[in-house]
Amino acid sequence: MTRHPRWGRALAGLAVLALLVAACGNGDTTGDTSAPTASDPSGTQPAGDPEPVPGFDGTTINVGILVPLSGLPAIIGNPLAAGQETYWSYVNDDLGGVAGKYPVRPVVEDTLYETGVTVQKYNRIKDDVVLFAQVMGTPHNLALLPLLEDDNIVASPASQDAIWVREQNLLPVIQPYQIDVINAMAYYIEEAGGRGRTVCAIIENDVYGEAGLEGLRFAAERLDFDIATVTRFALGDQDFTAQVTSLRSNGCEVVWVNALPSEFGAILGKAAELGYTPQWIAQSPAWVDVLGAGDLRGYLEEHVWIAAVGTEPDDTSDPSMAQLVELRNRYRPDQKPDYYFNFGYYQAMAVHQVLERAVERGDLSRDGIIEAMNSLDKLDYGGLIGEYAWGPPEARKPAPMSTVFKINMDKPFGLEALKVNFETPHAAAYEF
Amino acid sequence: MTDFVQLIFAGLALGARYALVALGFVVIYRATGVINFAQGAFVALGAYLVYQFGTTWALPFALAVILAMLVSAGVGAGVERVVLRRVIGRPVFAVIMITVGLLFLLEQFVTSVWGHQSLNLGDPWGVSTASIGTLVVSHRDVWTLVLAGVVLAGFFAVFRYSGFGLAMRATALDQEAAMARGIDVRRVFAASWAIAGAVGALAGITIASGAAGLNPGIGLIALAAFPAMILGGLDSPLGAVLGGLIIGVTQTLTAGYQPQYAAWLGENFYVVMPFVVMILILMVRPFGLFGTKEVARL
Amino acid sequence: MSRSSANPVMVRRHGDDLRLFPTRQKKVVYAALVVAALALPFQLSGFWTSVAVYAGIAAIGGIGLNLLTGFTGQVSLGHAAFLGAGAYAGAYVGSELGMPFVVWLAAAALVGAVIGGVIGPFALRLRGSYLAIITLGLVFLGQHVFQNWTSVTGGLNGRSIRIPVAIGPVDFADLEVLGHQLTRDQGYFILVWALVALVALTAKNIVRSRAGRAMQAVRDRDLAAEAIGVHLARTKVLAFVLSSSLAAAAGALLGSYQRFVHPGEFSLVLSIMYIAIIVVGGVGTTFGPILGAVFITGVPRLIESVSDRLPFVATDTAGGGLITVYSLNWAIFGLLIILFLVFEPRGLAAMWIRLRLYFRSWPFSY
Repeated sequence: MTRHPRWGRALAGLAVLALLVAACGNGDTTGDTSAPTASDPSGTQPAGDPEPVPGFDGTTINVGILVPLSGLPAIIGNPLAAGQETYWSYVNDDLGGVAGKYPVRPVVEDTLYETGVTVQKYNRIKDDVVLFAQVMGTPHNLALLPLLEDDNIVASPASQDAIWVREQNLLPVIQPYQIDVINAMAYYIEEAGGRGRTVCAIIENDVYGEAGLEGLRFAAERLDFDIATVTRFALGDQDFTAQVTSLRSNGCEVVWVNALPSEFGAILGKAAELGYTPQWIAQSPAWVDVLGAGDLRGYLEEHVWIAAVGTEPDDTSDPSMAQLVELRNRYRPDQKPDYYFNFGYYQAMAVHQVLERAVERGDLSRDGIIEAMNSLDKLDYGGLIGEYAWGPPEARKPAPMSTVFKINMDKPFGLEALKVNFETPHAAAYEF
Repeated sequence: MTDFVQLIFAGLALGARYALVALGFVVIYRATGVINFAQGAFVALGAYLVYQFGTTWALPFALAVILAMLVSAGVGAGVERVVLRRVIGRPVFAVIMITVGLLFLLEQFVTSVWGHQSLNLGDPWGVSTASIGTLVVSHRDVWTLVLAGVVLAGFFAVFRYSGFGLAMRATALDQEAAMARGIDVRRVFAASWAIAGAVGALAGITIASGAAGLNPGIGLIALAAFPAMILGGLDSPLGAVLGGLIIGVTQTLTAGYQPQYAAWLGENFYVVMPFVVMILILMVRPFGLFGTKEVARL
Repeated sequence: MSRSSANPVMVRRHGDDLRLFPTRQKKVVYAALVVAALALPFQLSGFWTSVAVYAGIAAIGGIGLNLLTGFTGQVSLGHAAFLGAGAYAGAYVGSELGMPFVVWLAAAALVGAVIGGVIGPFALRLRGSYLAIITLGLVFLGQHVFQNWTSVTGGLNGRSIRIPVAIGPVDFADLEVLGHQLTRDQGYFILVWALVALVALTAKNIVRSRAGRAMQAVRDRDLAAEAIGVHLARTKVLAFVLSSSLAAAAGALLGSYQRFVHPGEFSLVLSIMYIAIIVVGGVGTTFGPILGAVFITGVPRLIESVSDRLPFVATDTAGGGLITVYSLNWAIFGLLIILFLVFEPRGLAAMWIRLRLYFRSWPFSY
């Protein structure tokens, strides 16, 4: 059967041995990094220099990042982490670190988008970081929540769910999906002449879809319209004839969409084939510019809007966005404009403010981080996205601010703003 | 009524995609008795190769497809030569696990080379359509159906009339007896893996066409093709195609009507519908619709 | 199919072959293993203790699958569905009904047994690859139920699980030994690995009982087994019941340890991991699934901790190397599975036995 069974067995055995040996070696080095090094003794700040604590050796501040970097969800996890890494490179290179002297090192772990692995990775690095600057995925944040409470650690969810706002141990950075739905529908109905049109929805059958639907239902109540039908699909579906014909036969004139690009492309492709042309309004994760590279371009530019946050992508007339673009080109020249890259970047901005405050107060311990976080009165993104009213959990309120784009493939990332960074009383009325 | 006909056609087109994936399973199972979990990776690899040849290197689409099929066939044959040949005769689940290991390896190869982003395959079909009465058919779906039909006919012709097909059938029937008659069984194995690779590439093209349709997840459709393959009978190409079409039509009809008429079955019941159909049919016919019954002897 | 073929010590009677602890030497070895296991959580870091807990849970499920696949020859890709059923059953009984540890664990096992008893008869009609694929369907049906039965499972949001793990006054989540406060991970380590020992011993006993011999007869040739008087239906269904109740118990432990479960966890990948556990460990051995569980749970984490030092590997998400660390993990994992099955088809257990033989006859090579 095999010509060299002995050789092969030896190889398999050696592979295991090599791994074991290497792992032991690894144990030693991690021991080294946790040893405190002498910190600058000439600290003259009022609160004094922060003491070395887990995740801070007196000079470098480590922050944890838990995102999927392999498998299908890596399409989101990679740019998320890249946005964070880019921002921290900027903090370290241009600002000299937090408070000008403490560089930040992101410790990145791959969660495979599995809750079990996420918990294991959390356990692996929790004693090497001062906080978790990024944890992707709703179930994964929910799985970590009890551990964060037990360990008194802060984590920032890379997830636009509404359930994070009031948690002491969480640092949500962007308003939830619901806000964008409400604002976009308000714009459509009150300003774009959508009053009286038949409203429907097509959503992905998961938490992301449910969040969008919740926002749509709230908007329906506030703006007094009915939702004629809600049709659902699963990630990875190949054929959308059933969903699209159902929307068509229900006479839907505006369709709210929660999808990811591949499915969004298939939905629109089917609709275009069948000659069905409602106004599509999609949640931002549905969009990627390759959708408009082919035959769909005309259809997209005529019938599709995207509800999102922030200014036009790569709109360099805005100084904050110009800086983002400059940094992206500097540190990630291969990275194209990307919704999740920006999310990671905004998130790092928020975490940066917490770290600055904690250093100012002279305490990077877990308690110190929580107190520093509660003592901020807002999370400020330099105008890139709306300010998040901050403070202790009960005082937090995400900005009720969104942007509606139409598709224009001559623009960067194919998005042209219809209305930028606007607030509506309807979104402001949404309770968390 | 219009919607009903439209759904039936969509189901047939979807079913043809399942069928193309399932044919890849069948050709390997027929010759070697192995269920190849790595077939999904052939599907993804083939589609990405078309992208590489057609879009990155700007070759004509048809040429890109042929090249991709050839390279996939080479990968299939190579995998057989290097790995699978060493484990002939091992228990079913051990060989299944080896193909799972191959799936992990090939998946990482694909994402390491082409990344995770959604891409456009570069197919010439776009969103162009033709109309037959009220029925709208897209060129993409018509091509899918045609390809499935051509592959099935090709299988039929090769298995039935060529000397090589005879060798394959003999091998499937009894390896030792085939060997005793001077049939090069190893060549038959390598060829069946090569064919599976090429057919996988074709399946990949039909799945990845459309806007932003090419992403590493397209290999997942192989899972949905399992019911198609088993429904028809593991070793029957005709069964694979019919199984695919049955599953496709059932699935789109369920997606179309279940939310309205049987909402109690839960959201997205159509996702599990293929498996329900499969279980029901296997209860009645344990070897599928066209599968060869195993004769058990003491 | 005597297991003694690998054991050079002369076995004179069949009874000797069946003994659990045949020699004094073995007793010493087992005692040493227990001591080592007790000492382990105090030597490992928090991370590796947690990995070891997951490995222990996987070992329990793996022993279950091994009874079905390894000893009875019924390939099942449906193990994840049973783990899920157990996780939700344990969570429901432990929190909504407020029952203590022993009750929720037993209830989960019972739910698993009942579902296994319902599924088992399917195996009477289907064989080989057909059975494998139909049990694969079970995983998808299970996920559909988990996603839609919101009142119990929390639906797509998943559910958090806070259930007690105390036996009488001993709370494993908050354990104190000789005035030394243990972490939750250490407490779980002791609980889970004690259960592993218990389950392994039980499985070993089942295998050497009449029912166990019937299972192996069915595996080796079911028609022949039937001809010599083995009740085929009863044996197959029993194997399904045992296997799925152990899987469900493992699922309940998983939920209670993780304090959260989500339908997405109980996917086909999990089923495949369990098959990998028994195949890599050594099919049809009692010790194999434990080795396999440690291997499959631990090795990916191990690879990660070393692969970032390889020259051609990109260590951040920017790319640059030929392959990212994260892809490399999966690639190596896939490669290891292939290497193992090609070169060591009888798994880690066989490797261990050969190593033992080698040292027993050292310095002679035979």
